[in-house]
Amino acid sequence: MPELRTAGRSLPSWLQLSNAGVVYAFCVLVAVLSVATAMSGRPSYVSPNNISNVMDQAALLGIIAVTTTIVLISGNFDLSVGSVAALGAATCLVLMPSLGFWGAFVAALLVGAGVGLFNGVVVQYIGINAFIVTLGTMTAVRGLVLILTDGRTITAETGAARDSLRALDASRWVTPNLYLIAGVALLLWGAWRWWSTRRAGRPVTQLNVLVPLGAGVLLVALSPVLILTIELSQRAIYMLVIVAVAAWVLRFTTIGRRLYATGGNAEAARLSGIAVNRYRVVPFVLNGVAAAFVGVLYASRLTSINPTGLNGFELTALAAAILGGTSLFGGLGSVVKSLIGALILITLANGFNILNLGANYQGLIQGVVLIVAAGMYTIALRRRQRVKLRTVAPAPNDRPSGSAAEREADLVATGSSEQR
Amino acid sequence: MSSTDSATPVLELVDLTKTFPNGTRALRGVDLAVTAGSVHGLVGANGAGKSTLIKCVSGVQPPSEGEIRWKGRPVQWRNPGEVVASGLATIHQHVPLVPTLSALENVFLSEGGPHRMTLSMRERFSALVERLGYEIDPDQQVGTMPIGSRQMVAILQALALGAELVIMDEPTASLSASERLIVLDAVRRLAADGTTFIFISHFLDEILEITDHVTVLRDGRAILDRPTADLDESELVQAIAGRELLAAQRHVAEASEGRETVLEVEQLGAEVGVSEVSFTVRAGEVVGLAGLLGSGRSEILNAVFGADSTRTGTVRVDGHAVAANPRAAVHAGIAYVPEDRVSQGLFVDQPLWKNISIPYLDRFSLRRLLPRERHERERAQRAIEELGIVASGPDALPSELSGGNAQKVVFAKWMHAPTRVWLLDEPTAGIDVGAKADLLGVVAQLAAQGQAVVVACSDFEELLSVATRVLVVRGGRIVADVEAHRTTEEELITLAHGLGSTPREVTHA
Repeated sequence: MPELRTAGRSLPSWLQLSNAGVVYAFCVLVAVLSVATAMSGRPSYVSPNNISNVMDQAALLGIIAVTTTIVLISGNFDLSVGSVAALGAATCLVLMPSLGFWGAFVAALLVGAGVGLFNGVVVQYIGINAFIVTLGTMTAVRGLVLILTDGRTITAETGAARDSLRALDASRWVTPNLYLIAGVALLLWGAWRWWSTRRAGRPVTQLNVLVPLGAGVLLVALSPVLILTIELSQRAIYMLVIVAVAAWVLRFTTIGRRLYATGGNAEAARLSGIAVNRYRVVPFVLNGVAAAFVGVLYASRLTSINPTGLNGFELTALAAAILGGTSLFGGLGSVVKSLIGALILITLANGFNILNLGANYQGLIQGVVLIVAAGMYTIALRRRQRVKLRTVAPAPNDRPSGSAAEREADLVATGSSEQR
Repeated sequence: MSSTDSATPVLELVDLTKTFPNGTRALRGVDLAVTAGSVHGLVGANGAGKSTLIKCVSGVQPPSEGEIRWKGRPVQWRNPGEVVASGLATIHQHVPLVPTLSALENVFLSEGGPHRMTLSMRERFSALVERLGYEIDPDQQVGTMPIGSRQMVAILQALALGAELVIMDEPTASLSASERLIVLDAVRRLAADGTTFIFISHFLDEILEITDHVTVLRDGRAILDRPTADLDESELVQAIAGRELLAAQRHVAEASEGRETVLEVEQLGAEVGVSEVSFTVRAGEVVGLAGLLGSGRSEILNAVFGADSTRTGTVRVDGHAVAANPRAAVHAGIAYVPEDRVSQGLFVDQPLWKNISIPYLDRFSLRRLLPRERHERERAQRAIEELGIVASGPDALPSELSGGNAQKVVFAKWMHAPTRVWLLDEPTAGIDVGAKADLLGVVAQLAAQGQAVVVACSDFEELLSVATRVLVVRGGRIVADVEAHRTTEEELITLAHGLGSTPREVTHA
């Protein structure tokens, strides 16, 4: 651990332990499982087959983890997604005979959006705590599912509608050689680095230019020999697309910027002219739509829905988001890291199966991992804040005179005097 | 203090000094003697050292030097519990009662014993109520009581602990007139009964009415210490304000006359704290809002910006009406620097460049959708240089900055944007002298650029140094409109306190 931390000093901030802890944790987990499988003579854990399995199993959770993360970033909380997913599936299956698959599918998404809108409006405009509201909708929507299905499992009747339902999640896609793709990506990245360094007038023979270029050339050159292809199920592709779009919107658009601002300090956001209400309600709607979509995907493979299906799904999604370092107080989080959180949860389960360890231990291990992860984030954040105070404390001399009397600098000043 | 005094002081402070680790000297040798059974008034401007004095006396902070004598014996209190145990209770302005418990339970909150309520408690409660002379239902939840009654519960709590000296920090600041009378009545009654009070208030009429002795603090010193009977209003005002203002410090009104009106406010009202406020601000004018804490000066700015959704009346910028919400206000070119920069103005865990670009993010973005970080960073770098923000760079976090630098970041959010009107709420609160001068310079510069500026400030001296015109606010209304170069700090204090029937009556030495 200490080695990692000192190494982290020179790393870009997004690779530092406190920011990317979940990525390292995932790598460690995968490494441990790989070694364990290799030592026990089982098929390798990182075999293309198993990777494709893990992706498939993580898909539904990953999709919900993305929108749950968005809700958390906006400073809210949504417990209703498991029930809404079941409601989406039930709506779709119940309406399919009359509306056909696509009509029923759209209706299911609209129902999801409706529940989300209800959550958002009640939370934001009436001002009831999101935890309470969504606890209520979770229970009520589950009741609605029971009413809709009359408490029985609904199965789609054979026919064109059922075929369309299945087609939503039936095809598989084999990726091209991933080494080749990675190599080309590294080359492009290196080229961009080259270009921007040149434009900034710095010498291009720097490590951060040469390393990606060299690695890219190496990978492309080896790609005829090194071959890794993964067969992705359709739901895994949905997940990857949703993650990519969400990550892009959050990172690069004004929408993302304002969402983080709203979650970070709603009052400051409001006083800066941001339509805070919108940025608080829309995430709920997205979450509802995503939940309904996940419900339909869930039903499409089984062509049926059990009224208690997807129970507790919301908590797993929250766990994934928290593993990914999303703050429950808003303003902080990343959908990619939440996806990795979801992958950790799925990998733990999958690894237990592969290693044939008692499935009874799964819950215990997952819970411990969650708490350890959250603890690490909290400690890392606290330490970072302390370090910041220390490094800032010795005030530069170009301060205007009289600044010693600063009331708000008290904390900083005492911090530094302790240090000296 | 002399031994010939008939009444012996119950509390005595000798040369009390308090220096903070960062060098601020809040108290510079205060002598104070409080006689038993008296009501001792403590007044002073914001930052005069009242709060620090109370903190030292009530054991929250140890004094740096000097002595506290309690009933003639020097004491060194280490924690507030010890102080309460020896019979000295402090009632803070924001009464720390448990709103979900009943009055009875609150009064005996620190009582030991296994029972939540006992019959003896009820008896003692009614005895205390008897002494207080104000009826309180012991079973009513404190949260459902009006603020005045909560003050009463707090007083009862102090009495139940056997307090002989009760310090009341602005007990009437948030009370209605009738509630105020009740509190003052209770104080008078208990004082006659032998309880001693230190009474802190911004309302000088109240001080003159209720106290036996007044001490005025200024810049950490006891400037005046006399029996109330020998005092009058103007003397008190003079003592609080201190020196005559230097004329040279004044910002002489620029020739903003004849320039176009930028901001027009008509019949502004809000549910809390604003009624029938109308004023206009011309380009290049700096209008000050002078008022005491709770007078409605912040609320007026809030309402103009539309942050208060209950706003009524119209606000026009360059002749165009602005809807009552912050978004519309920002679009109309109104910049707002809120009172509490940390909770209202900044995103403390986002880097400076994100903080600065957020109000006008569209202008930094491609097709209003994709923010161009390079532009944002350049903008932040420019702000850091122009405003002299001491920070490691555009990537610094506001939480790392000192108060003055953080406030400059809040200013930077609105600069170099198509703003027309600046609303500044206490822009220099909690800021050191150097940064204060910088920010006041920025305000003057904004006015020189033809912006219309409205600034609320509780430091009238500072207000006069920057404003061209001053509106005095009391009770959510504008009670006077004076040219800055024709008024004085004393006059503003008098007007803001509601003393003196007409503005011009007060003469100054």
